[in-house]
Amino acid sequence: MNELLQQIFNGLAIGSVYTLVALGLTVVFGILGIAHFAHGSLAMFGGYLTFVFSTTMGLPLFASMALAMPVGAVLGMLIERLAYRPVRDAPHINAFIIALGLTMMLEGGNLLLFGADQVIIQTPYQKVFELGGIFVAQLRMVVIVTSVTLVAVVTFLLLKTKTGKSVRAVAQNRHAAVLMGVNVNLVSSVVFAISSALGVAAGALIGALLALAPGVGESFAVKGFAVLILGGLGSLPGAILGGLVLGVSESLAAGFLSSAYKDVISFLIMILVLLVMPQGLMGKK
Amino acid sequence: MRVFNKPLLFSVAAIAGALALPHAFKSPYYIHLMTLALIWIVLAQGQNLTQGFVGYVSIAQAGFMGIGAYISTLLTMKFGVSVWTTLVIAPLLTGAMAILAGYPSLRVKGHYFSIVTLAYNMVIFIVLMTFSALTGGEAGIPDVPRPSELTLFGHVFSFEGRSNLNYYALALTAAVLATTCCAFVLHSRAGRVMLAIRQNEDLAEAMGVVTSRYKLFAFVMSSILAGLAGTLYAHYIGFLNPEPFGVDQSLNIILAVILGGSGTLTGPIVGAVSVTFLPEILRFADSFRLITYGLILVVATIFLPKGLVPLVASLWRWLRASQPNTSHNKPANKA
Repeated sequence: MNELLQQIFNGLAIGSVYTLVALGLTVVFGILGIAHFAHGSLAMFGGYLTFVFSTTMGLPLFASMALAMPVGAVLGMLIERLAYRPVRDAPHINAFIIALGLTMMLEGGNLLLFGADQVIIQTPYQKVFELGGIFVAQLRMVVIVTSVTLVAVVTFLLLKTKTGKSVRAVAQNRHAAVLMGVNVNLVSSVVFAISSALGVAAGALIGALLALAPGVGESFAVKGFAVLILGGLGSLPGAILGGLVLGVSESLAAGFLSSAYKDVISFLIMILVLLVMPQGLMGKK
Repeated sequence: MRVFNKPLLFSVAAIAGALALPHAFKSPYYIHLMTLALIWIVLAQGQNLTQGFVGYVSIAQAGFMGIGAYISTLLTMKFGVSVWTTLVIAPLLTGAMAILAGYPSLRVKGHYFSIVTLAYNMVIFIVLMTFSALTGGEAGIPDVPRPSELTLFGHVFSFEGRSNLNYYALALTAAVLATTCCAFVLHSRAGRVMLAIRQNEDLAEAMGVVTSRYKLFAFVMSSILAGLAGTLYAHYIGFLNPEPFGVDQSLNIILAVILGGSGTLTGPIVGAVSVTFLPEILRFADSFRLITYGLILVVATIFLPKGLVPLVASLWRWLRASQPNTSHNKPANKA
């Protein structure tokens, strides 16, 4: 029983990071219709950048993360402007192929700038508490709290601010939004800035919780999309629930079945959901 | 009446050229590269079926190539099956796996199909890496055998040795076979349905076409070709580990199809040859190779979405049209 609770708690920590990745993907997909596959590699870039800031300048995790997030946001806006905007009116498949090209470029850039060795961001949160028979690592708590805060901030931005309203207007009906005087180009830039900043935060948390290495970004992008499929496309609560479900099921699979095959199991869950309920857990029928 | 069929003549010339090429470049290194390029043509023709004809970008082509390679290697090395038999069996078994994989993934459209196939490629890669009792894991399987000697019309053809000309001919046969298959599919009813799905899937469905059946057909056939390429690759290189079957390689195959011209028959050939020779010409470190390939993919999709072959073809037509003489060469048919 304790083992079960322990694995569920561990799963919630990694699941909250999946939610962050999926949130960045879902705003871009929901609003611009782009399957931004390079998101995972951009997140890894942000993670590496956080690592560099914290080691060379001696900054704590959150300060380096705060420095890396605007860099990621600018990179995201550049990607939107230079790569995605030229194919905005072309078939969607073109944007996706561009996303694959960007993934290769970012992965190559990461390899060139930061090397092929595995990197772990050191944090002072090394304590472990015992709570009702399960071991609660401080770092995991920090990760969960950070993710929850970021999700809350982004939800607030989207629901309550004027920019947020124009973003949602574009998502609902692009033409009507243009007629109402919404600047679609600005909205696209804002969406990519928010999404990329979230991605950088996710990358930094992954770097602290697990490790950064070549190829990790691609696997996180796939898991981000798996979360979207699990939760239901375009649903914000779905992304949150889907992330947690994926994290917990993966953690249970690693604990009780096989840790080498945990990714295989999480992909199988995604395929099963597609077969049984293609609209996802929270999606509309 | 036309006496000859232009594409047919062109194909015969291309095959004759490909057969003569190793004799022009005597360097074993070039023969080696050209053999790899031919194997890549099989792979790219398969990818083109889904990506170019149906408009569904699968990111699992390298994974299915791996399945074919491992099935064939294990059948020959553990069960003593002859390589000639596995050249037929392994692609078919790969196709059978693709039926299982294609059914659930084709329930989703567009991007999501791509993501699911990407997940397949990752699963295949993880299994090849982890299930080392069978696959040898990262250390791989050494000494994968070449096909046995073949006696045809009294001649003995051996396939042993590096940059073997007979193996080159075998790969060429496979490439011609793959291209011919794709040509037949393109000009059949199934091919026309595939193009219709690419243009407007909802409309095709509304016209009463069971689109899922055609999508599955394209996916399975594409995987059979991937399996064939994998089999040829494994027995040519002679050493098998999971590395060439990762997601990166699947992206390279997509690049080959886009660069050459997706949806055309010659495009994948041009693309496959370019992608095989480019790293050899550029001699880049791996990180630079990724950046360059990614950049080519992005720039080609923005500025050259149809690929090189249609570009050259339209340039050619434009040049001919701009020369006043050529129009007079045609006899006027007016009575």
